[in-house]
Amino acid sequence: MTVWLWRALVLLAAVGLWEAAARMLNPILYVGPSRLPAALGRVLATRDLPPLADHVWLTLGEIAAAYALAVAGGLWVGFLLGLRKTLGRIYEPLLAALYAVPSVIWYPSLMLFFGLGPASKIAFGVLLGFFPVTLAVLAGIRQVPATLVTVAVSMGARPWTVFRKVMLPAMASTMVGGLRTGLALSVVGVLVGELLGARAGLGYVINYAYGLMMTAEYAALVVLVAAAVLLLDGAGSLVEARVKRWAG
Amino acid sequence: MGRLSVLGWQALSVGAGLLAWEAAVRLGVLDAVFIPAPSAVLRALGTTAPDTLPRLGDTLVKTLLGYALAVGVGVPAGLVLGSRPVAHAVAMPYVVALYGVPKILILPWIALIFGIGLSTAALSAAVFAIFPVVVLVAAGTRDVDPTIVTVAVSMGASRPQVVRKVLLPAVLPSVLTAMRVAMVFAMLGALLAEMLAGNRGMGFQMQRMALAFRAPELFAATAIVSVLSISAVLFLEHLNRRLGRWR
Repeated sequence: MTVWLWRALVLLAAVGLWEAAARMLNPILYVGPSRLPAALGRVLATRDLPPLADHVWLTLGEIAAAYALAVAGGLWVGFLLGLRKTLGRIYEPLLAALYAVPSVIWYPSLMLFFGLGPASKIAFGVLLGFFPVTLAVLAGIRQVPATLVTVAVSMGARPWTVFRKVMLPAMASTMVGGLRTGLALSVVGVLVGELLGARAGLGYVINYAYGLMMTAEYAALVVLVAAAVLLLDGAGSLVEARVKRWAG
Repeated sequence: MGRLSVLGWQALSVGAGLLAWEAAVRLGVLDAVFIPAPSAVLRALGTTAPDTLPRLGDTLVKTLLGYALAVGVGVPAGLVLGSRPVAHAVAMPYVVALYGVPKILILPWIALIFGIGLSTAALSAAVFAIFPVVVLVAAGTRDVDPTIVTVAVSMGASRPQVVRKVLLPAVLPSVLTAMRVAMVFAMLGALLAEMLAGNRGMGFQMQRMALAFRAPELFAATAIVSVLSISAVLFLEHLNRRLGRWR
C-alpha cells in the first residue's frame, strides 16, 4: 500500500517538475503537461495536421504485417536450427553475431531496396522482430529435458504428441517471452522506419508536427504513441503470465 | 562435430553465400542498383576509405561519450535500486516503462534543443543505453545471496572488505553484461541520431548514400559498422571471461 503511495508521489513530483521547468524555459521547445490536453484536442481534430485516423490505421497494418512475418520466420528458423543440431551449431553463432549489430544500420539499405512506402517499414519491423523470436525458440528447445523426450518416445508417443505434450510445455514460457519482445521490436522497427523517412503513417505525422515546430502537437503525439505502446506491452505481459501459469 | 569443422562450415557457408550473391548480380538475377555485388562493395570500401576513418571516429566519439554517461549513471542507479527493496518497488515500474517506450520518439525533441551535432548524438546514445544498464544491474544486485554477506560479517570482515571482497565480485557479472549490452545500444542511439538529425558520421553517411541511390558505398558503410560493433561486443565478451577467471 505504501509502495503505491510512493509511486503516485514520484509520478506527481515528476509531472510537477516537468511543468515547473517548462514554464520557466522557452515555451516553443518545452511543453508542460498542462498544455498537452489542448494540443491533443487539436491533433484529434486534425487542425493543421494530416487526418490522424488514416495514418494510425496504416501504421497498425504495417505493424501487424511485420509481426506476422517476423513470428512465422522466427519460428521456422528457430525450430529448424533447434531441432537439426548440426545446423544449429553452425548457424546459431552467425545469427547471434548479427544480433550484436545495432539494428538501425540495416534500415538505409532496406529503404533503398523497398522505397519510402510501407514495404521498407514492414521489412524493418520483420528484421527486428525476427531475432528475439528465433533466439527464444532456440533457448526454449535447449530447456526441454532430453530424458522426458526419450521416455515419451520409448512409451510409443508419436512425434506430434511428443512435441505437444513434452516439448511445448517445457519451452512455452521462454518462447512467449521472445514473442513479446518480438512484438515490441516490430513496433519499434515500424516507428523508426516511419520517422526516418515516410510519406504516411504515425511517424510521418510526428515528423510533420515536429518539422513545422508545432511542438505542443508533437509532444501530444509522442505521449499518445508511448501510452499505446505501453498498453500493448501490458496486454502482452498478461498473455505471458497466462501462458506461464499453463506451462507451470 | 568438432569445433574446427563448425568453423569450417561457417566459413564455407559465408563464402558460398557471397559467391552466390556475386553470381546472382552478374547474371542479372539481382539488380545491381539496389543490391551491388560483393566485388563492387569491396571497391567502394577502397574508394571511400580516406573519408571513412574520420566519419567512423566521429560516430565512435559520440557513442563512447553516451556510453560513458549511461554506464556512469546507470550502474550506480542499478546498484542503489537493487540493494534497497523499497526504492526498487517504487521506482522499477517506471524504469521498465521508460525502457519499453521507443526512444526514437523523443529524438526529434533532443535534436531541437541540442542541434544536429555531437551533443544530440551522445545524448541519444546515453538515452538508448541507460535503461538496459539500470535494469540488468538492479536485477544482478538483487540476486546477490544475502547469506554470503552475513557470513563475511560474522567472520569479522570490515565494511570496505565486504564491499571489495564479497559484493563487488558478486555483482560484477551483471555489471559486465550490462556494459556489453550498453555498447550496442549506445551505438544504435548515436547512429540513429545521425540518421535522423545529423550532418556527419556513419549514420548520416548511410542515410545520405541510401537517398542518393549509391548502393555500393551504402553497403560498404554498413559492413564497416557491423564489423566494428561485432568486434566491440566480442572484445567485451573476452574481457568478461578474463574477469570471470579472476573471480
